[in-house]
Amino acid sequence: MPSFIHKPRRKVVLLAAGALGLVVLGALSASVVLLSGAYSTAATTQHFKITHRLLDAGLRFSVRSHASGVKVPDLAREGMLERGAACYRMHCVQCHGAPGVARHPAGRGMLPIASSLAQSAREWPPEWLYYVTRKGVRMSGMPAWEFRIADEDLWSTVAFLTRLPFMTHQDYLDLHAESADFSCRAPTEMRHDALHGDVKVVFRQYACHACHRIEGIVGPKSRVGPPLVDWPRRKYVAGVLPNTEENLIRFIRDPQGVSPHSLMPKLDVGEVHARQMARYLLASE
Amino acid sequence: MRALSSVVAFAFVACAHEGGYEPVVSGGDAKRGRQAIAELECGACHQIPGVPGAWGRVGPPLAEYRHNVYIAGKHPNVPDVLVRFVRDAPSLAPDTAMPAIEMSDTQARDVAAYLYSLE
Repeated sequence: MPSFIHKPRRKVVLLAAGALGLVVLGALSASVVLLSGAYSTAATTQHFKITHRLLDAGLRFSVRSHASGVKVPDLAREGMLERGAACYRMHCVQCHGAPGVARHPAGRGMLPIASSLAQSAREWPPEWLYYVTRKGVRMSGMPAWEFRIADEDLWSTVAFLTRLPFMTHQDYLDLHAESADFSCRAPTEMRHDALHGDVKVVFRQYACHACHRIEGIVGPKSRVGPPLVDWPRRKYVAGVLPNTEENLIRFIRDPQGVSPHSLMPKLDVGEVHARQMARYLLASE
Repeated sequence: MRALSSVVAFAFVACAHEGGYEPVVSGGDAKRGRQAIAELECGACHQIPGVPGAWGRVGPPLAEYRHNVYIAGKHPNVPDVLVRFVRDAPSLAPDTAMPAIEMSDTQARDVAAYLYSLE
């Protein structure tokens, strides 16, 4: 009788121990690979084929799911194609190239390589193109363009992209010339709506965390600028102004105006975002 | 040319399903196209899945042809261009090694339809 009860339980315990052992073994070997430096982070070392395929598929599934609610506006409106061409020229061709036009040097050796958009636009519906352009792709060089390109012109870019697979080199050059007077519009306040409520995104989209350690924001342990932790205890902004919300906003918006020769550049931070940042810092403990 | 190709292209994109652009040859029949390809001996120069003996290595392999973005590296891969190209390649790519091949318009449409049917 007792063996009848104990045997299955013993099996479960053994299985659990085995699983745990495997996890520990896996973590150990991963640590060995990591700590020994065997893993190459060089941009000359391509992913395994299977990794590459998985990343590709992951992107596709994620985009399909996230773009499912997107409503596509009329993409044939007057001037859209030309505006889209202007955006492409200003922000895209550098990494993606164009028909008969090479990528800039930085766009050639990227890993993962930025896709040829003539292909993407042939295979992907407009709402996917919009979503990827707007939101970017994590762990690739693709930024979220919603912070640099006004929403209307994100769609202009998509309008352009949908034509791209069907353009010859000459078509592209012609459109390039025809759109010379068009410009790509920036959002008035860096898509304030999209950023509203998440000040951490605001900091990241102005690249603040590239130079500062900021309370509550994951990023490199940068020491280019002073750490922005425990900020309410600080007495001065940039060693110049008393640490108040208004002074902080002034400095964030025009560092060199407040403190000549400051190495902090002007990042075109709007009033709204500067205030969000200042309040966040002044509230951080 | 640009305006025209853009309009044509947009029409295609507009009616493409979620998976993206799908080229369709009006009046082309893939089954007849396969037959025509065998008769015209396209396989002497191209690898063409589904066509016996089509193992040529002179020109590029034609598997999954509808996923190719360009024809002869010069023109967007769309039905009207492909129909013209299979019949009279030099008119679209003067320096190409591919010769003009005598066939009817229907044959050209069928051939293009078959190529677009290749997975």
